[in-house]
Amino acid sequence: MSGNDIVLVIVVGTALVFDFTNGFHDTANVVATSISTHAMPPRIAVAYAAIFNFAGAFISLAVAATVAKDVVNGDVITPTVVFAGLVGAIFWNLVTWYLGLPSSSSHALIGGVVGSAFAAAGADAVMSAGLIGKVLIPAVIAPVVAFVVGVIAINIVYGVVGRERPGPVNRGFRLGQVISGGMLALAHGTNDAQKTMGVITLALIANGSLSESSDVPFWVVISAASAISLGTYFGGWRIIRTMGTRIIKMDAAQGFSAQGSGAAVILASSHFGFPLSTTQVISGGVMGAGAGKRVSAVRWGVAGNIVVAWLLTFPAAAAIGAATYGFCNLFGDSAAGPIIASLLGIGALAWVFTHRVRQEPLPASG
Amino acid sequence: MLATVVETKELLETVAASLIAGVGVTAAFSLVILGVTRSADMARNERPLLATAAGGLAALAGAVVIAAIVFGIVVMTSK
Repeated sequence: MSGNDIVLVIVVGTALVFDFTNGFHDTANVVATSISTHAMPPRIAVAYAAIFNFAGAFISLAVAATVAKDVVNGDVITPTVVFAGLVGAIFWNLVTWYLGLPSSSSHALIGGVVGSAFAAAGADAVMSAGLIGKVLIPAVIAPVVAFVVGVIAINIVYGVVGRERPGPVNRGFRLGQVISGGMLALAHGTNDAQKTMGVITLALIANGSLSESSDVPFWVVISAASAISLGTYFGGWRIIRTMGTRIIKMDAAQGFSAQGSGAAVILASSHFGFPLSTTQVISGGVMGAGAGKRVSAVRWGVAGNIVVAWLLTFPAAAAIGAATYGFCNLFGDSAAGPIIASLLGIGALAWVFTHRVRQEPLPASG
Repeated sequence: MLATVVETKELLETVAASLIAGVGVTAAFSLVILGVTRSADMARNERPLLATAAGGLAALAGAVVIAAIVFGIVVMTSK
């Protein structure tokens, strides 16, 4: 096995770790509203989301193609560049998970890869047209659309059933949340699992294991789908609390509207290959469903923290990705850089999990 | 420069599809709940005609919700 092959194996492993953290981190987006409105018990909601995440990863490959071919220039990408970008994304995901902030795993991944590519080959490595047109502009528009859909949807809901008895209405919307939660998890799988598929495909192309015109290999689809669904199952309760209760206190109708608007935006975007942030979209939907009922119902301070994390994600992950590439580059073309960086990363992960997971009790069922 | 890199048509279609699907499915599901609750109330009040009409509304709206979900999945898988 050559040095390049060793780096490729490390890259694939790191990408699957990222995918796991993506599922772990973004579980909250999918299940928080169902849990907070008591539509489903926490463990059932998480298992249900994991199954739909797995299924969603097989629906479409348009986003994977965008990440692999439209964001960075394949000619200057090496497996080490991809590895450094993944480290940037994983590190930022863990920082925001630690702080309980629902930031975007997608922006972290794309930011990390762009940062490391820039460090490796300068501005020529970044395909600015693809980055702006396919990533940055949809990233700004999508949460706003989800917010608007959430506002309109919740007003229609209250207009239609507002005078009915609350008991049957709440039971009906809780049942509806089983469907909308499934659709949201499916949407999450289609958009987020594909980003990891795109990155692994990019590394395979960079290593010469795959031609640029090749499709995403099936083993990549299976492994990415498995990693994100496992991560979802072991989800982060810290962010679930923020999404489920700290932005607004939701009723079942708001939960249904938020999930429905989020799923609609993500599925439509995935269809056109826009790798947007599922976190920001569902945050927009939750805020819209809250503001549509009463503007003061939204805790705008918490919403502001989410926006700050959103703005910081891309540059922070890019900076960490660039720094990681710089560190690996100290060891030249050998596999030593990625191996040492991986060992340091595994040590840091072990420390974070042993210190923080113990402090994170499971919320009471229901 | 911005106009050349932004995929305006795809973005507008995404916004339109999101609005129609998000608002449409939520509205249709609200009608399902309205129809079911009214149908139960009317049946309890021994007004079978109104109960049937409300049940019909619920069934129609339910069919719209199911059709929208199936259509969405078919469109996704056809890409």
